[in-house]
Amino acid sequence: MPGGLCLVKKDIRILVVDDFSTMRRIIKNLLRDLGFTNVEEADDGKTALPILKQGRIEFLITDWNMPGMTGIDLLKTVRADPELSHIPVLMVTAEAKREQIIAAAQAGVNGYVIKPFTAVVLKEKIEKIFERIT
Amino acid sequence: MKKKIATLEYDGLEDLLGQMARELVTTIEEGNLAHAMELINDLQEARHQVFYNEVGHLTRGLHEAIKAFSSDIDEKILSEESAAQTAMTDASERLSYVIELTEKNSHETMDRVDRSLTLVDRLDGQSERFRDLLLLVGQLEGEFKALDGVYDRTCTVKNESEKTIEELRSTLTEILVSQSVQDITGQLIRRVITLMTQVESQLVKLMDMAAKVERLTGIEMGQAPEGDEAKDDAIRAQGPQLKKKEASAVGNQDDVDELLSSLGF
Repeated sequence: MPGGLCLVKKDIRILVVDDFSTMRRIIKNLLRDLGFTNVEEADDGKTALPILKQGRIEFLITDWNMPGMTGIDLLKTVRADPELSHIPVLMVTAEAKREQIIAAAQAGVNGYVIKPFTAVVLKEKIEKIFERIT
Repeated sequence: MKKKIATLEYDGLEDLLGQMARELVTTIEEGNLAHAMELINDLQEARHQVFYNEVGHLTRGLHEAIKAFSSDIDEKILSEESAAQTAMTDASERLSYVIELTEKNSHETMDRVDRSLTLVDRLDGQSERFRDLLLLVGQLEGEFKALDGVYDRTCTVKNESEKTIEELRSTLTEILVSQSVQDITGQLIRRVITLMTQVESQLVKLMDMAAKVERLTGIEMGQAPEGDEAKDDAIRAQGPQLKKKEASAVGNQDDVDELLSSLGF
């Protein structure tokens, strides 16, 4: 396992937000491969927020296009909330327009992975985020 | 002339205008101003009538199209009671069913991948036990001449088998990740469902408008011209379309990374 992740506590609590259960499961399994087993799920921004507000989530992985509350709105809400703004956010989405990526970057995203992705890419981006914050 | 104007179609408009314009010039040259004014009136009316007749055609076509559409829906409502299978004539429902089906299938595949990964873990465990046995062989090798070289050869096999296990594990992970296509197709299908719902509600609005036009113009709806097939096609042509790649979309993860790094990431 690359050095970046060895320094990270494996018991950190991660929230995966996606409206497709298939995708949540894939991400969850890949996280498990990386040694992260403390993973919670939500199917859109609206259901994610109450979980985030409980205050134990340390890393957020979210889709963009979801009914109810989208990932970009969730990201903005998280960044605007002093209690949550420190949480690193990785966006995993099929939205691939330049303007969207720029908007996500401006909203304070920590990483951006476009679907469909490979296990290697997802792992690499997660590692990169943890490298920066540790 | 009056009768000609009443049934005037768009295609005949230019000819008639030319004809009337020439007549107007001649009449003015002859000094018959009263008749000239009459001709100008006729010209005005011709313009009016063409619009009127075209709106009539449009209304009639729309009316027929909507009738065909609602009979589709009626059929669905009727059959829903009789058989579950025919109940899915509604395109939106069918598409939702596709999402449901692929999602279920993806989960089943992932169940099997999970089970396979457990088996791989077990192989890994067995490999550990094998290592212990192998050490024993190594110790015995010195005592029994017949075992000469067996340790090295078995070690090679064991290393190969460990590599195979690793390859198997990564292939299984790839199968898992490839299930993400269900999410992508699901999103595309959802867009089409939204589009269809919009088309449906717009059509109902048009039907309402057509009914108003019908009252205003008094156009007979019963006299639908031939060519209903073409109208059916117009309704059925709302099939799903593959979203063409948008000009501003980036191609792959490398492009995303490049764009992000240009933004200081």
